[in-house]
Amino acid sequence: MRKYMIRRILFSIFSLLVVIMLVMLLVYSLIERSVIFQTDDTWNKKSNNDRVYYEYTQYQKYGYLTFVDYTAFLKNKYQALVGDNYTTDHDYIVDKNAILDAETYMDNPTVREFMEKYSEEGYTFRFLEAMKYRSGKVKPGGNAYLLAIHEKSVVARLFDYVKGFITVETKNMVQDPELTERYIRIEKDPYSGLFAVVGSGTQHKYLLYFDNRFPFIHQNWLHLNLGVSYTTYRGQEISSVITNPQGSLDVRRQQYPALIGTDQYVDTAIDFHSLSYNSGTVSEVEKQQFPDKYTVYNYNRDGLSMIGNSFVIGLIATAIAYALGLPLGMINARNKDKLADKLGSVYIIFITSVPALAYIFMFAAVMTRLFHLPYKFANAEVRVLAYILPTISLALPSIGGLMKWMRRYMIDQMNSDYVKFARAEGLSEKEIYNIHISKNAFIYLVHGVPANILSCLVGAIITERVYSVPGVGNLLTRAINSHDNGVIVAVAVFYTSLSIIALILGDLLLAHYDPRISLSAEKGGGR
Amino acid sequence: MKDLYADKSRDELFYFIDRDEIASEKITAPRYSYWKSVFRVFFRKKINIALIALFILIFAVSFIGPIFWPYDPFENVTNAATYNLSPARALSYFGSDIKWVLGTGTLGNSIFYGVISSARTSLLLAVICAAINMTVGILMGAIWGYSKRFDQGMLVVYNIIANIPYILLISVLVYVIGSGFWPFVFALTVTGWLGIAYFFRTQVMIIRDREYSLASRCLGTPVHRVIGKNILPFLTSVIVTLLATELPSYISMEVFLSFIGVGLSASVPSLGRMIQEAQSAFLTFPWAFWPPAIVASVITIILYLLGQNLADASDPRTHM
Repeated sequence: MRKYMIRRILFSIFSLLVVIMLVMLLVYSLIERSVIFQTDDTWNKKSNNDRVYYEYTQYQKYGYLTFVDYTAFLKNKYQALVGDNYTTDHDYIVDKNAILDAETYMDNPTVREFMEKYSEEGYTFRFLEAMKYRSGKVKPGGNAYLLAIHEKSVVARLFDYVKGFITVETKNMVQDPELTERYIRIEKDPYSGLFAVVGSGTQHKYLLYFDNRFPFIHQNWLHLNLGVSYTTYRGQEISSVITNPQGSLDVRRQQYPALIGTDQYVDTAIDFHSLSYNSGTVSEVEKQQFPDKYTVYNYNRDGLSMIGNSFVIGLIATAIAYALGLPLGMINARNKDKLADKLGSVYIIFITSVPALAYIFMFAAVMTRLFHLPYKFANAEVRVLAYILPTISLALPSIGGLMKWMRRYMIDQMNSDYVKFARAEGLSEKEIYNIHISKNAFIYLVHGVPANILSCLVGAIITERVYSVPGVGNLLTRAINSHDNGVIVAVAVFYTSLSIIALILGDLLLAHYDPRISLSAEKGGGR
Repeated sequence: MKDLYADKSRDELFYFIDRDEIASEKITAPRYSYWKSVFRVFFRKKINIALIALFILIFAVSFIGPIFWPYDPFENVTNAATYNLSPARALSYFGSDIKWVLGTGTLGNSIFYGVISSARTSLLLAVICAAINMTVGILMGAIWGYSKRFDQGMLVVYNIIANIPYILLISVLVYVIGSGFWPFVFALTVTGWLGIAYFFRTQVMIIRDREYSLASRCLGTPVHRVIGKNILPFLTSVIVTLLATELPSYISMEVFLSFIGVGLSASVPSLGRMIQEAQSAFLTFPWAFWPPAIVASVITIILYLLGQNLADASDPRTHM
């Protein structure tokens, strides 16, 4: 069994890597990269060589390639040699103007140095000749450029991505000579009144702590670096985008860390558990408020995070679906071809065949009319009410699906020998159906339970759009529409990992629920 | 019969009887034709006849209709007074014409004509995609389930491709090859058959190792005959059940993809696009939303019911 699991996990990691590579191939190689300029006003305003240069800066930002500009190279070189007023240096001006002449620029020693240095590293070069009027004056945007360009290969991109996938905070993480004390230890947490794992030299101050927010125990120790957003959430890390709380600031009466024990309280929304290291300079005010250089913080907000919204809605919907779908399926099977079964069949046919979009709108129209429930998430005056319609909408198809399969499998089981035997033993029909048949029928459904629960983390595209729920469901579609390659890859990795984990958990749960099933194909059917 | 031979001597244990010409004409078991029985059982349910009639009506209207009622979504685009008119106001604005009985959409387009042209697109899309995916899926699934060596390789491929988000794959394809009708068919079918093949593989594997198949193989029947004669006929009802869920699923899929913005292009009238355009204001202009939504629902329900009933009828156990 252990051998089987190890092989299975290794294979899962392999397929995850291949999926990442294929997704990268799809988004970086198949889509024409110039589409990112379709709605770009800056690109429209630029012309000639400036536009080409701008394109390269954008490509670099979107992760297609890396490039080095000759001017930037010169700046680094002369800043080290001459100092900050290098722009007036004679050699610098000569080297800078060397590329203005398309015929002789290769004779300049600094240009040759630049090209030699980067061709060794596998860069290719692009020389944009200065565009001049006949009078010799440079056209607008016609400046000369010399660029060293390095296209990222898929393998290199995959390697870079996987390399930084998981980071664990250690006490040697912050590289700052000013920091004298380095430790990770358990301390009393003044904000929760309980204990917390506190670090010095780590990026975050509180590595493991408790507070009064769901799920009550939090950690900053382990970070999953899914990728960085380019456009939709400028420069932010995806895993923090989806887990950071949203909503309005949650102001409370609190004390700054250095002022604990005094009577100085402030009304602030700062989340003091989120403190992380400030590698810059600490201001005078901050020095009075904080005892150390952990002065960077997030704010407490009163709403759930994106993933929190999706998970709450999804989880309650799944619970409703199992609580209603299974018993209804049992009732239908027991009353096969009677009125209850026919009504159930009408519902199943409606839900499975009508496009989800159509019945969700029908449902929304009816419910808002009848009960005056809030339709759009943001318009709700009472936050809890806003969750009702999305949750029920999401549960509707799952109820139908579970009903359909529970009924089907129970009917299949009805003529089994064990049912006849139970009847011969004199058990009541109620006992036979509710205990014997339903348990055996549920074997077929148990495999999908982990997948149903984990898929709540992915969110629901249609439901979240229709009710404007700020959840994770539309992360992928929005990223695709705005060519946010980082988010696309991150979301694909997230989805794939979840579906792989769900499959393994489903198999384990199935083997646990039905001991006759063995996962590993060992001889003699050994478990 | 007993009376006929009652006078014969009881001493003889065996005796000859005359050949009965009339009795020998009768065949003890009625001739059994599979497809005849399927349709006999299928048409025994009167609702199926009604469903077929309704389907033919929708099919005919959506295919013949656009010839007489050509749909142009941009015909009134310059006249802002025609935008979002309710049926009553559209009829009073344009005069009593069947074209305006359902009102106008966001650009003054006729919803009635739009729904008819869109229904044609949806039906065509469903039939073509289902035909391609089912054919490729069943053929590949049959080989996949039959050959153990092929199975191992294909499982790896399946586990990888099935994990790539479907929306991502479709959107990338739409970007690369465009969003016309045929590129869209390509996007839906390029990996769409894989799921069908996987489902079918499991079914084939169950039957592959049954005794009669084993016997056939021992007698040296070639592989293609084992698949074609032993396995596929056994799976007819499975295939029809699959078809019943596949056909409507493409219509729903088109609606869904249009909703998230990677559907057919604006030049192809489609139910998904009409629903998408109307959904943002469906509380203020409900007449633009309901016709395409209802037509899509009715088509999918009819296809699903017909398919399910045909699947029931194609199960030989119901032929008794």
